[in-house]
Amino acid sequence: MVSAPFSRRGFLAGIGGIGAASLLGACATGSDSAGGAAATTLTLQSSLSDPDPKAALTKVVEGYGKTPVTLNTIAIETFRAQLPTYLNSGNPPDVLTWYAGSVARDYASKGFLLDVSDLWTGSGACAGFSPALKELSTADGKQIFVPTNYYWWGVFYRKSAFQEWGVQVPTTWDEFIAVCKTIKSKGVAPISMGTGSTPWVASGWFDYLNLRINGAEFHRELLAGKHPFDGPQVKTVMDHYRQLVEYIDPKGRSYSWQDAVTPLTSKKAGMYLIGAFITSGVPSDAVDDLDFFRVPIIDPSVPVAEEAPTDGYFASAKSKNPEGAKELLSYLASAPAQQQFIQLAKSSNLPTSQQVDTTTFAPLVQKGIKLLNESKAITQFFNRDSSDELQTTADTALTKFLDKPGDVNAILAEWQASAKKVLGS
Amino acid sequence: MTAVTAPPRRRRAGLRAVPKVVWVFLLIPAAVEIGMVFWPAVNSFYLSLTEWNGLGAAQPVGLENFRNLFADDIFRDALWNNVLWAVGFGGLSVLGGLGLAIALNRPRRGVGLYRSAIYLPMVFSLAVTGLFWRVQYQPDGTINTLLGAIGLESVERQWLADPDTALWAVLVAAVWRQVGYVMVLYLAGLKSTDPSLDDAAATDGAGAWQRFRYVTWPQLRGVNTVVFAVTVIDSLRTFDIVWAMTQGGPYHSSELLSTYMFQQGFTFLNLGYASAIAVVIFALALVFIITYLVRATKEEAA
Repeated sequence: MVSAPFSRRGFLAGIGGIGAASLLGACATGSDSAGGAAATTLTLQSSLSDPDPKAALTKVVEGYGKTPVTLNTIAIETFRAQLPTYLNSGNPPDVLTWYAGSVARDYASKGFLLDVSDLWTGSGACAGFSPALKELSTADGKQIFVPTNYYWWGVFYRKSAFQEWGVQVPTTWDEFIAVCKTIKSKGVAPISMGTGSTPWVASGWFDYLNLRINGAEFHRELLAGKHPFDGPQVKTVMDHYRQLVEYIDPKGRSYSWQDAVTPLTSKKAGMYLIGAFITSGVPSDAVDDLDFFRVPIIDPSVPVAEEAPTDGYFASAKSKNPEGAKELLSYLASAPAQQQFIQLAKSSNLPTSQQVDTTTFAPLVQKGIKLLNESKAITQFFNRDSSDELQTTADTALTKFLDKPGDVNAILAEWQASAKKVLGS
Repeated sequence: MTAVTAPPRRRRAGLRAVPKVVWVFLLIPAAVEIGMVFWPAVNSFYLSLTEWNGLGAAQPVGLENFRNLFADDIFRDALWNNVLWAVGFGGLSVLGGLGLAIALNRPRRGVGLYRSAIYLPMVFSLAVTGLFWRVQYQPDGTINTLLGAIGLESVERQWLADPDTALWAVLVAAVWRQVGYVMVLYLAGLKSTDPSLDDAAATDGAGAWQRFRYVTWPQLRGVNTVVFAVTVIDSLRTFDIVWAMTQGGPYHSSELLSTYMFQQGFTFLNLGYASAIAVVIFALALVFIITYLVRATKEEAA
């Protein structure tokens, strides 16, 4: 409901954009200077429509004094569908929220994104960011993305519950299976996983098992279509996944990821592999009891990789005021703006700027920072490393696999066929 | 001759007599309708012959999209699900609505209460209906708890997560909402039947079924027309309740043409392919409506 007026405003803005575009087309000469002079106000198109992040971004934008900024908040479903229209219109929003990965690269290759390479060199706002983040923000040798925060994935559990059941945090696969067995013997579902209305959650285990068995390099290539999903490497991954099936709470098939947090907090389930955003779904009295551990190592010779989905902003190549857009991006990427946003949004996200003082952050978040710093490679998540369309082929394959693990060969062959269709188009 | 030519002349004079401002009031909505409804609709026919992701120009690909559609298992399953849905949704809501209307037609104490209670779900939007039923279908929800309480644990299942039951579970929710509406239409129809015919038939010794089949039913023809049209349209445009309850899952087992179109168009931005699905939906609706109109005119002529 909250986002309705904003959607309408976005719609009206779109109509206005069409009107402006046709007007510009009608008087093709001499309109450039008028357009440039009129665009003193910058537009920031945001998909952060949840109350806390939305309030946080509003506050951060209010603190920007250089140019007046109009903040348009649009629900993510509409935002995603309309993104090409936004970028392609004659009078596009100057700066937009998005996430790093293949979708951004795809837009960059079509020339819709502003080259922000100068922010990444010299005294630019992103110059101090890690090389991994820089690589994530690069397309065709240019930087087109400004990452401002990211989060980690881990196996979350309740410390008091592990104590009650007398189990220790596992570090190897065998230990992990042993922990599952012990928890199950107490009449508790060892693993919670909400794959009902959010089937993408099932890709969490797939990604991690692939990272642990075949490594980050193979994982990236697999999602880029360079290896088949029914090849021997993926079969090994599924063999491990299959060992987990009997320990996964069967009711999770009807749950969303949020619903599946409840059994974890009420100690009816033991562990949950999920992103750090889980803290927003845990009651405040249980947050301090919440802890996580790294997905256990399977093959010690494979360099440790972690998933760290990265959020941030990009700017439209057709912005009427590219310098202003870059300045706004620099402000959003600055340490104080990052810190203000993360704290006001009440998220467990990590800042990309190393100048943010993280000592005041919760111990859990500090542990998350340490986890990522210790890993050798960073991936994002299945959909961000590939595409939303390839993600649905994974959703179909993996939820079917959870129902019928015996049909794994047929399911993988079918997955490969539908992935080929997606990647081919 | 004069008698024949007079009416058109009078009509032309009538047209001229319409004040200009009225034409303006007529033309503006017509222009808006053409610009905002018909033009985009015609465009989607063109788009169905192209490959387009919303960026740049659409690439014409001829009938490629349609060839791909009929080779697409998900599309074929969605088409079949749509057939099941139309038959199930139409059949159950008409049978249920008619049955309830006959049962609640006679004035009795408290009958108004029953009628309102059955009609009540209609005030919820389909999306809300979907959310409400999703809670009932949860593994520990009302339905499984009730089944457990009467000793039917073996029937308990994860209704929306089981590919064998997901579509039917959504169907039950949709019929639950629709049946009250159909009931009200039939109640109105039954009110306009002539009770003396029924009494006469009873006096002549006709049984309850005979009285319904040969006396009441023929008088409901007008209502049947409305019910048929409403049901066909509602079943073809079904989208929100499925989206709210299963989003077409698990693994496309409750996918309808409309949900698949939405996913292709607005999640994947395969706008050409999605337009091809839209064209198929349009063609299906057209087939139903034309067949129906042909039948209706024939009946009227006869």
